[in-house]
Amino acid sequence: MVDADPFLTMQGIVKHFPGAKALDGVDLDVRPGEVHCVLGQNGAGKSTLIKVLAGAHQPDAGEIRIDGEPVTISSPVAALKLGIATMYQELDVVDGLSVAENVYLGHELSTGGLVNRRAMNSGARALLKQLGHPEIHASEEVGRLSAAGKQIVSMARALSRKARIIVMDEPSAVLDAEEVANLFRVVKEVTATGIAVIYISHRLEEIRQIGDRITVLKDGRSVATGLEVSDTPTLQLITLMTGRTVEYAFAARPHVDPEAPEVLVVEDLGLEGVFSDVSLSVRAGEIVGLAGLVGSGRSEILETIYGARRSSSGRVRVNGKRLAPGSVPAAVRAGVGLCPEERKSQGLLLDEPIYRNITLSTFARFARGSFLDEQSERRAAKEQIAALDLRPGDPNRDARTLSGGNQQKILLARWLEHGCRVLVLDEPTRGVDVGARAEIYALIARLAAAGTAILVVSSEIPEVLGLSDTVLVISEGRVVHRGPARDIDEHRVLDLVMEGRAA
Amino acid sequence: MSTTTAPAAPPEQAPARRRFALPGSLVRNLGLVIALVALCIVGYVTAGDRFLSTDNFVTILRFAAVIGVVSIGMTFVITAGGIDLSVGSVLGLASIWASTLATQTMAGQVHWSIIVLTACLVGAGCGLVNGVLIAYGKVVAFIATLAMMVGARGLAEMISDKRTQIVTENDFLDFFRGSPLGVPMLVWIFALVAALGWVLLNRTTFGRRTIAVGGNPEAARLAGIRVREHTVALYVLCGLCAGLAGAMMLARTTAGSSTHGTLYELDAIAAVVVGGTLLMGGRGTIVGSVLGVLIFSALSNIFTLNNLSISAQSVTKGAIIVVAVLLQQRFASRSLSSP
Amino acid sequence: MSAPLTLRRRLMLGAAGLTAVATLTAGCTSNTPAPDPNQTTTAAGGGGSEGNPNSEPGDTVVIGFSAPAADHGWMGAITSAAEARAATYQDVDLRVVEGTNDVNLQISQIETFINDGVDAIVLLPFDGAALTQVALRAMEAGIVVVNVDREFSDPNAARVTVLGDNYGMGVSAGRYICGELGDNPDAIVAEIAGIDSLPLTQDRSLGFNDGLATCGLDVDNRVAADFTIQGGEAAAANLLQAAPQIDAIWNHDDDQGVGVLAAIEAAGRDEFFMVGGAGSVNVMEAIQAGDTVLQATVIYPSTQAADGIDLARLAVQQRSLNDFAEVEVPRLVQLYAPVVTADNVEQYLPTAFQS
Repeated sequence: MVDADPFLTMQGIVKHFPGAKALDGVDLDVRPGEVHCVLGQNGAGKSTLIKVLAGAHQPDAGEIRIDGEPVTISSPVAALKLGIATMYQELDVVDGLSVAENVYLGHELSTGGLVNRRAMNSGARALLKQLGHPEIHASEEVGRLSAAGKQIVSMARALSRKARIIVMDEPSAVLDAEEVANLFRVVKEVTATGIAVIYISHRLEEIRQIGDRITVLKDGRSVATGLEVSDTPTLQLITLMTGRTVEYAFAARPHVDPEAPEVLVVEDLGLEGVFSDVSLSVRAGEIVGLAGLVGSGRSEILETIYGARRSSSGRVRVNGKRLAPGSVPAAVRAGVGLCPEERKSQGLLLDEPIYRNITLSTFARFARGSFLDEQSERRAAKEQIAALDLRPGDPNRDARTLSGGNQQKILLARWLEHGCRVLVLDEPTRGVDVGARAEIYALIARLAAAGTAILVVSSEIPEVLGLSDTVLVISEGRVVHRGPARDIDEHRVLDLVMEGRAA
Repeated sequence: MSTTTAPAAPPEQAPARRRFALPGSLVRNLGLVIALVALCIVGYVTAGDRFLSTDNFVTILRFAAVIGVVSIGMTFVITAGGIDLSVGSVLGLASIWASTLATQTMAGQVHWSIIVLTACLVGAGCGLVNGVLIAYGKVVAFIATLAMMVGARGLAEMISDKRTQIVTENDFLDFFRGSPLGVPMLVWIFALVAALGWVLLNRTTFGRRTIAVGGNPEAARLAGIRVREHTVALYVLCGLCAGLAGAMMLARTTAGSSTHGTLYELDAIAAVVVGGTLLMGGRGTIVGSVLGVLIFSALSNIFTLNNLSISAQSVTKGAIIVVAVLLQQRFASRSLSSP
Repeated sequence: MSAPLTLRRRLMLGAAGLTAVATLTAGCTSNTPAPDPNQTTTAAGGGGSEGNPNSEPGDTVVIGFSAPAADHGWMGAITSAAEARAATYQDVDLRVVEGTNDVNLQISQIETFINDGVDAIVLLPFDGAALTQVALRAMEAGIVVVNVDREFSDPNAARVTVLGDNYGMGVSAGRYICGELGDNPDAIVAEIAGIDSLPLTQDRSLGFNDGLATCGLDVDNRVAADFTIQGGEAAAANLLQAAPQIDAIWNHDDDQGVGVLAAIEAAGRDEFFMVGGAGSVNVMEAIQAGDTVLQATVIYPSTQAADGIDLARLAVQQRSLNDFAEVEVPRLVQLYAPVVTADNVEQYLPTAFQS
């Protein structure tokens, strides 16, 4: 089937936006039944390409053919008619409607003008079964499903539309390891029926597992088209994506001074129904990692330590002083800073300039009386920008225009400016492309070397192991293992997680 | 984008980007100024010197003053992503409370400013209730202030028994009737409130917090800003403005009435939104709000001068609001889709 | 508040004379039996009949007109009657501004009239007290201010005041009911008032009681509505529940009367007759047709602003009311509240307002 004629070809696609060229010559051909991976850093043009395919944007130049016939994808409806279904990252399901209603959204089954709920339910049931998820009830409200469940619903919708290509935009970003494995199984089943999948991602290891061929985007161009996954070494892909070779390894951790003071001490912390009896301590200069699956309670632990959630039991001390539970200002005053998981929705003022984002926790310090001193703020921000190599370095630029990695640096700069003794990092490299990750890792190590106590959570187990001195494995809201990071590997962590679940 | 004009952007390094980042607020205010000038030209062409006289401008400004003060408070609440539907009713309640026999008697014995103080306190008190309900009671702002809108009007009717309360405290009336430097006192107050509002929003930590809370409340909270306390303060400020406007209304009409300020919440919201403050929060402009108020006042005046039909003015107002919001959406979606 | 009230009461006693004033200012010949300014003007098309020197065009008079928003049938008729009246005069240039319930806007409208230097302002204020200050300024600027329906708090703020007669409405309604039921001292009389806290409602009820007292009757059931159709419906439904047997009802307002009738029809009651208030077209037509419980209505003229236009014109042109000994236009005009029944409805229908 890999040799079949392409179902979809795109040639020389160009798309301009005011002030920027988002796509500048993209070629792509997709054959029936294949998983075609589109790889690229953030800002390489992946999202724009998806929108062109989905009919949300019209290309300014280039040609799209389906079955060899030139076509215009004038609208999302036209895309669906042509057999192209798109699953966006922020899933376009309606939480308040049932699974079946979501599957048939926009093409409801009806008899005599009335919605035929029974036909929709049975149709949805058949599709869910086909996708290997008969446990999802057709009449259930979608809002109650997990992100993975919503993806399945979105995929069932694509099937119900008789799609011939399903475009999936970073579907694994919201899933844990188990769910990703499940998703891959579903993808394989779907492609076995001749449906093609365009799989957008920047996770190289996933592409190895699932992809048939790869197209690499860089700066709006396709720098390689239709590479066979099996013939292409990872290093070559990284080089294509970044235009340079990247040191992917973590620097060896220096030994933490055992005499260093315990800056952050957490005792028997608990949050009703989520986690309990969490105790840990972080010394100055130490990096402690929390490993666990999505839903294990790891993010909630961080947020509770930070006071963003009110603990139901236990204590948090910083430099020996107890923090008032449920008070972020108390934590911030004590010198704790949080870089949240959802940078855009929880961390940044996207339409405000970089410098105001950097000084969001400290602008009152620069003020004389109640009056702001924006000159000093800009000056301080510039220093942080230089120290962290934040790019572009114009402090007046809106935060929205920056890449994921540089947005993460804004948050780090915020807490550096604040003078944090404890940094709490939730998924520090989510949405950060490969090239910038190494930079973030180096930055975190540098902060620790300067004496900051760091607590980090990541769903990528190698990342936690590589970054940390000490690792706590979390399962079902409990600490199931605690020990030096160098004494444990990824398999062992997964085993511990599974054991914890079984218990 | 490099062709975009940036009027007198302060010199910064990387001027090309600076130019890209700035014009949003400036050019849009420029648009409002152009709209206002265009309205004035229409006024001059249709009504001639009747429009272009000093007396007429004073009339426009005096009319704008009361709604203007309400709009300044509203600008803060909307910038922070909230809404206050109660300002019109609170204005009415303040005018009633400040003109009761008891208040006037006390004012007569102590000082006329007791009347103003009472109105401001009533306004701030209503704002406090709004703010606490919203910030601590987790009631949606729309609902909480809707309840206040109905409740305050009812309370005003109860206190006044739906009667008009005439102000007999002449020192109070004389103060507001004055025209220092030929400009009526009400207009001075509007100018002062607008200037203070501008400084507060653009130059103080309070303003920065307001923008942060409106732009991304969760980010503001996680950055250590006391979002709930600030929310309360914002509604108190908005109520305070409504209360002050109640005192101004009292001076202008020489009478307190439970019907004062009816539908002013909508006039204020319209002026603020037309001015360019984002209804979803995170961006606010006092200058825009002032211009918005002036545009609607000038429009009203031109229609009056030209003896135009009773309903055409409302239609025109509606059209202006729609056009302004459409422009605003274009602006918002452009900044979202920029790569 | 009390001064205007007593003044009004005093004037009420001389109601007959004042009715004559209204008749004269309407420019009718004096043998026309009832005041009917609108009809006459539309018929004559020239502001008056022959032989009336006041109908001769004089110097052009610029009149500014401002009234509350037309959110009530009667209020809508106020403006249209004034416009129609002004259109009959070649020498009147009427400027009508947007009707508004916002006193701030109404004040600025009057300020604009002052700036424009109009000759006269006919003003039906949303709130009399709130507009007093600006009316005083207009008077100081030499403008003739005619105050209609809702009185200013300072008599100096207007050159002429035109008022309806709320107390008289009540008296007329009460006397009419007495005439119908006077031989039955046990008759059940009900009253559906407007907004209870308004002085005008209190005046109407007082008059109604006084009128009924002339034959020894009194109000047995009383409810209050709010001048709206839905309010009238709700109040009447409650009243009908409370009183299983009624002989007569007076409803203060014909706009809310639409709802009152709906409630009566819904309850299937017809053992009583009803008297309306204000005098709307559909009520008068119902009286004419005689197929409902409506038997009569008392008029609260919707032509009082039209009278205001007449008076403003005469005052500016420094003419007097002919058929009247006075040199000047009077200071205060209060209109009569006649009872309309099937016998005389033809005569009042042309000046009735559309609710």
